[in-house]
Amino acid sequence: MGYVWVGLLALVLIGGGAPGIEVPGSATFKDKPLADAVVWVDAPDIRQEHPAPEVTLDQRNLSFSPHVLAVRVGTTVSFPNHDRVFHDVFSFRDGKRFELGLYPVGAVKHVPFDRPGLSRVFCNIHPGMAAYIIVVDTSHFAVSDRQGNFLLADVPAGTYPYHAWRPGGQILNGSADIRSGSRLDVQWR
Amino acid sequence: MALRIAAAAVLIAACGAPCTAQSITGEVDVTGGVSTENVRAGSTQARVFGANASDWRFFAEATWAAVNGQPSDAFGAAYPYEGGIRPMEVYAEKTFHPRSYLLGVRAGRYRTPFGISSRGEYGYTGFVRAPLIRYGEHFALSNTWLEHGVDLAAGWPRLSVETSLGVPGDEGELHRRRGVDGTVRIQGYYKALIVGASRLDSGRDRALGAFAKGRSVFNGVDARVTAAGIQVRGEWIFGRPFDGVTTTGGYVDLLVHRRALGIVTPVARIERLDYEAGPYFSLYLKRVTGGARIQLPGCFTGQINAIHQPAGLAHGRKNVIDAGITCSVRR
Repeated sequence: MGYVWVGLLALVLIGGGAPGIEVPGSATFKDKPLADAVVWVDAPDIRQEHPAPEVTLDQRNLSFSPHVLAVRVGTTVSFPNHDRVFHDVFSFRDGKRFELGLYPVGAVKHVPFDRPGLSRVFCNIHPGMAAYIIVVDTSHFAVSDRQGNFLLADVPAGTYPYHAWRPGGQILNGSADIRSGSRLDVQWR
Repeated sequence: MALRIAAAAVLIAACGAPCTAQSITGEVDVTGGVSTENVRAGSTQARVFGANASDWRFFAEATWAAVNGQPSDAFGAAYPYEGGIRPMEVYAEKTFHPRSYLLGVRAGRYRTPFGISSRGEYGYTGFVRAPLIRYGEHFALSNTWLEHGVDLAAGWPRLSVETSLGVPGDEGELHRRRGVDGTVRIQGYYKALIVGASRLDSGRDRALGAFAKGRSVFNGVDARVTAAGIQVRGEWIFGRPFDGVTTTGGYVDLLVHRRALGIVTPVARIERLDYEAGPYFSLYLKRVTGGARIQLPGCFTGQINAIHQPAGLAHGRKNVIDAGITCSVRR
């Protein structure tokens, strides 16, 4: 019998407690679906989360892809060049500041993002290229798709502050009551 | 005819199965400029580019320009300033990345891949003029030379070879003769340094008349190094535009893109060109340029250059100010 309790205790410790809740939501701007909005919730991690070891902001077809990249603090972002022309990626304002210099097709450069904030990313050669990297200090974040929908995964039940950002807009702050079946809809008016 | 073939190549490539574009982007640049060399100019470039589901990329660009005033190379950094609406690059391309290798193919109408040749590295960087050695009317290798052909690049990011085979499709006043036209370029990349060597073997200007015989052959070396937001780049090009003469020259550019300078990117260039064609016809040109690119509110970017050209240019004044403003919009 004692083994059962030990096993259960081990499960709780390894599993990190109650399972998280998937919270769907939507982002709208003037009542229209909004893509590329970033939503995050200041909820504790259910499991021992580690930042993704590396995520990618691609340079492809004279554009950055994705246009908006959300990452957790501590993530290293790779910047591969998949164009036959050179790019010179930089971010000078706010957030992480860097300049990668010129590099050719097939080459990759890496930048660690070690504190929260917003980095506006450009190419010094191609003025039309622009992207945003938003760094958040939580594992509970999502970026809205073309229909304005997003899904926050594995959020523990409870009431937490939430934040929402969109390109060129104000950050929305509020409180989200997370429980089974709840939604989080953010609206810019 | 060659242009039609180039356009057809783009359409065929862009409409590879399935014929649905995954992404299409349009850009327009509108520029107005004045120079104390008694030149006023206006231009518009429109370009469309994208990719289909198979990641075949397409790129098409047209330019229109009007210039008023005396002959000058002002505002000719990357586009011709005569000829009304003209097509520039119109091509399709695909790049393969098997393992760590690199294989790229491009077909259509594209800038001659010799040295530092992409439009983005000359147009709207802060310099209003092309380097002397890259302006066709100086019997040099023009920034508005284009190829109708096929271009292959192979190697690794660290070391690659690019070859182009086609026929000339030049824009600008001086056009090369029809005929087979080949370019080879080798490029190395290590940390902040990019170096290259190029060779072009081509026909020469039809407009120069019967005295311009033989093939046009140019060789060049180029280098770019970028560190802490400071880019130094340059080329040295030597060869013959046609038999019996030589053109030799180069330039070194400095571009300072530092956060502390805010909206201003200072630029500087020192350059020379020697065209050896015997008494009366030779040109010995020197020029020093200092200036800046200034990021203005909205879509606007300003460029201002102060130029000192102590020798050579027939129509040029010794000291010149060029200024231009561009609005760039992407959708």
